[in-house]
Amino acid sequence: MTRHPWSIGLLRLLLRTYPREFRERFGADLESDFSELMSTRGPGAAWQYALSDMRRAVPMTHSDDQRTRQRRFVITLGGESQMGSLLFDLRHSLRALLSSPIFTAVTVITLALGIGANSAIFSLVNAVLLRPLGYQDPARLMMIHEIIPESRVPRFGVSPVDYLDLDQYQASFTDLGAYRTRTMELSGSGRPESINVAQTTAAVFPLLGAGAAEGRTFLPEEDRSEQSVAVISESLRRRRFAASNPVGERITLDRRPYTIVGVMPAGFEFPKRGPQFNGTPAEVYLPLVFNPFERQARGMFYNHSVIGRLKDGISLAQATRDVAALAPRVYQNYPAQLRDSGRFSLQIAATPLLEEISGQVRRPLLILLGAVGLVLLVACANVANLFLSRAVARQREMGVRVALGASRNRLFQMLLVESLLLALASGAAGLLIAHWVLRAVPAVLTASLPGVSDVSLDIRVVSFTIGLSVATALFFGLVPIVAGMKRELTGSLREGTRSVGGRRQHRLQGGLVIASVALAFVLLVASGLLIRSFNNLMNAESGISALNVLSLEVSLPHAGYNEAPRVRSFYQTVAERITAIPGVRAGVVTTDIPLRADGERRAFFPEGADPSGGVPPSIALTWSHGDYFTTFGIPLIRGRNFTTEEQLENRLVVIVSKNLADRYWPGEDPIGKRLKWGLASSPDTWQTVVGVAGDVVDGPLGSDPVIHVYSPYSETNDQGLASPLGGLWRNMKVAVNGEVDAASLTTSVRAAIAAVDPALAIANVTTMREVVRDLSAPQRFSATVLAAFAAGALLLAGIGLFGVLAFGVAQRTREIGVRVALGAARAEVVGLIVKQGMLLVAIGLVIGLAGSLAATRVMASLLYETDVYDPMTFAIVPALLAVVSLAACYVPARRAAIVDPMVTLRSE
Amino acid sequence: MKKPPVPLTPAVFHILLALADGPLHGYGIMQAVEATAGSEPAMGPGTIYGSLQRMEEAGLVKEVPARTDDRRRVFTLLPAGRRALALEAERLARLTALVREKRLIPDGA
Repeated sequence: MTRHPWSIGLLRLLLRTYPREFRERFGADLESDFSELMSTRGPGAAWQYALSDMRRAVPMTHSDDQRTRQRRFVITLGGESQMGSLLFDLRHSLRALLSSPIFTAVTVITLALGIGANSAIFSLVNAVLLRPLGYQDPARLMMIHEIIPESRVPRFGVSPVDYLDLDQYQASFTDLGAYRTRTMELSGSGRPESINVAQTTAAVFPLLGAGAAEGRTFLPEEDRSEQSVAVISESLRRRRFAASNPVGERITLDRRPYTIVGVMPAGFEFPKRGPQFNGTPAEVYLPLVFNPFERQARGMFYNHSVIGRLKDGISLAQATRDVAALAPRVYQNYPAQLRDSGRFSLQIAATPLLEEISGQVRRPLLILLGAVGLVLLVACANVANLFLSRAVARQREMGVRVALGASRNRLFQMLLVESLLLALASGAAGLLIAHWVLRAVPAVLTASLPGVSDVSLDIRVVSFTIGLSVATALFFGLVPIVAGMKRELTGSLREGTRSVGGRRQHRLQGGLVIASVALAFVLLVASGLLIRSFNNLMNAESGISALNVLSLEVSLPHAGYNEAPRVRSFYQTVAERITAIPGVRAGVVTTDIPLRADGERRAFFPEGADPSGGVPPSIALTWSHGDYFTTFGIPLIRGRNFTTEEQLENRLVVIVSKNLADRYWPGEDPIGKRLKWGLASSPDTWQTVVGVAGDVVDGPLGSDPVIHVYSPYSETNDQGLASPLGGLWRNMKVAVNGEVDAASLTTSVRAAIAAVDPALAIANVTTMREVVRDLSAPQRFSATVLAAFAAGALLLAGIGLFGVLAFGVAQRTREIGVRVALGAARAEVVGLIVKQGMLLVAIGLVIGLAGSLAATRVMASLLYETDVYDPMTFAIVPALLAVVSLAACYVPARRAAIVDPMVTLRSE
Repeated sequence: MKKPPVPLTPAVFHILLALADGPLHGYGIMQAVEATAGSEPAMGPGTIYGSLQRMEEAGLVKEVPARTDDRRRVFTLLPAGRRALALEAERLARLTALVREKRLIPDGA
């Protein structure tokens, strides 16, 4: 018995439908019988048994119960106190609902689907688009970007020296702050970990309106000279300092000590995910101090995010104009050499922070929200239909009640209680569904959505959807009955077993079916398009053929690795050791892995190009030690891979991508051609092409392959490698292509690295298979959710059609009987019903077609290589709907066909 | 409901039949009915207690104190119940004979 407390609780609740006397005498026995059934035959059988038993026993015991009999008499006469009658109504309603289990089940399931799906999606939208960011008045915050039109890159972050100019020139913001993010090695007690760090100027925290929970944020002087102070997040405090107050304690980052001066409150998240640059929430904040070189380097380091708060009275539009107008002034400070080349100009743009954070996901989420709204509409249409049918079926019952003196208010209250009971059950089931849907939101999706670490159900949303459902049930349940009560009263009694629904109601029900079909059509088309698009995306050529590849990141701290030879020899040793691991086909240590778009970008000049032809587009540059091409399955189309000597010593060789060769040396042999970094006038040395590799997509999936140059790690610049600024070259990815399952190599790869330096933190362990899966997760989620919605809508439309036809057949039994008696063939009767149903469907299809042609246009930007008028989708959807509709027609039509004319005629 | 209604409802008949072997509680009756009813749909506890209440009112059965620690309610057959069962059995036998006479079912079935 103790194993099923939930079941026993529910049974106890249901037992309350028995009359009190009976319950008092037999309640305990009923419970122990039930639990005996549960343990001998299992919960499924026990419940089936108990429910079918109650259907029979509850009415029986009530008709025996003297007190109920008296009370019922009083009620029909319209007397009795409100409270007592409410209890009675509850019991009565439960009984009434149990006595028509199909109606009850279909209503509850329909509403639960609508409520559940809506609550889940709206909660997601709420979390991403509506929930406050935790900053003071975030609508007044703006971000600033720099644009160099000639680079053909949409936009960049801001360079330090330009930021300093802007901070001095601007008049629209109370203040400007700059920040950039990076990962650092956190060591000390416990296993070393790689941690996300944001370096911010002192102005950032006051700008956000965020103060420390303990201690303080940065002082103005702390971003001017190197101070080893740190502010940490609440999550890090909990992880590393348990309950104690860490202010004044030290932490070790990249093997240097920092003093903790403050702890941010729980829930503070900065930077938010979403913006293109520096969009990783940090757990440690350090002051951003620009070194003397950064303070005067024009045209470099465009990797800082700049944020500002609008002054009172300045509008977003005003600030946007003001910032754009500052560009010429900043540009005047650029060296004449750059300005006079005529190939380098500067624009500055400001955009609202909110747009930066949620702009990417706004449209997909709003489309899901629209879709889920359609599902709710279909659900409401169905519930309306169900209630209309039931109302007609109960007209006679109501007629009798009124004839016996029940007041209209009394009846109203009874029906109200019934509807509320239904809504309550649906709401509970809906919450379960919402909970499941939210659990199905993949973790990678929430990780890439701004501001969402945990999406929880929003109580306002849940109450809204439940309220809407109740309103639907009430309106369609009560209105026809109350309106019909007066008119139909005498009629309903006189007409005996036949109750007539009336032409108007019939037309209304038909209309609801049409609407359901049309809405289902739109949803099916939308989900069909997303599924097609997702398939195209998954089949898109990415340029890499190996997915069984394990990769992880190893960053070298400056301390202990402050000379170029040490850094190089470390990574060379690692590359040798991982390649020697049994089960590894090929291994590489590299600055970036395919599909991640996190590598270095540079301008370059190809030999033989027109020097006045403008700045060449920036290209992706990958530094590696080891066999990059075998590891990721990238074909070498011409020439050869780097030799061992080239890997160890700088021999000025490069391998280029096929699209680079095709574009700059069309029809020529690229092997032996040369290129150099920078513009035509750059003093950089020429490097010789020794091989041509296949084109690779740098991400996201489905985007065009980038122009790529591959260099041996031995060619990295010594000073850059030794400098603490050389983050890119000290934060290397280690990747191995496995002959065995790549994930199973994790331990041995970790061990190989630990054998060289056991204190290093290892981060971002993943496989290429996971990378591809994560990149496609948002599309997969949209496609799956929308497909589920469409399937639900299809099911509901089918149920709605079935309900209306079945009800129509039940109402027309006599007419059908007469037809058959007069010689109509069975086939004609079936044809009659099917024709009636399919006519509604056909109208729904036409309206749905028109609706989807209009509605899918908003989806164009979400689709990958899929036409919004995709002929396949528009062919399959009507066919699918037609098949389901025919299936829905089948049962009522069969029921009509087996009507026995003798029985129907005799019953009159 | 002072006289046993004839014909008896299947529920009442089966409960009487189950109690003919001695006093039983609800769950015991349910198991006995399941064993004797064959293909007929089985009765749940609620139906059984509801019927017992009616039968008690009609004087066919009465509740007796339980003999064990088991606190479940135990019912036993009253003479009127035994009579009703016999009458019903006779009635059914008569009907069966009638059906046989018309050769609708083979002898001995």
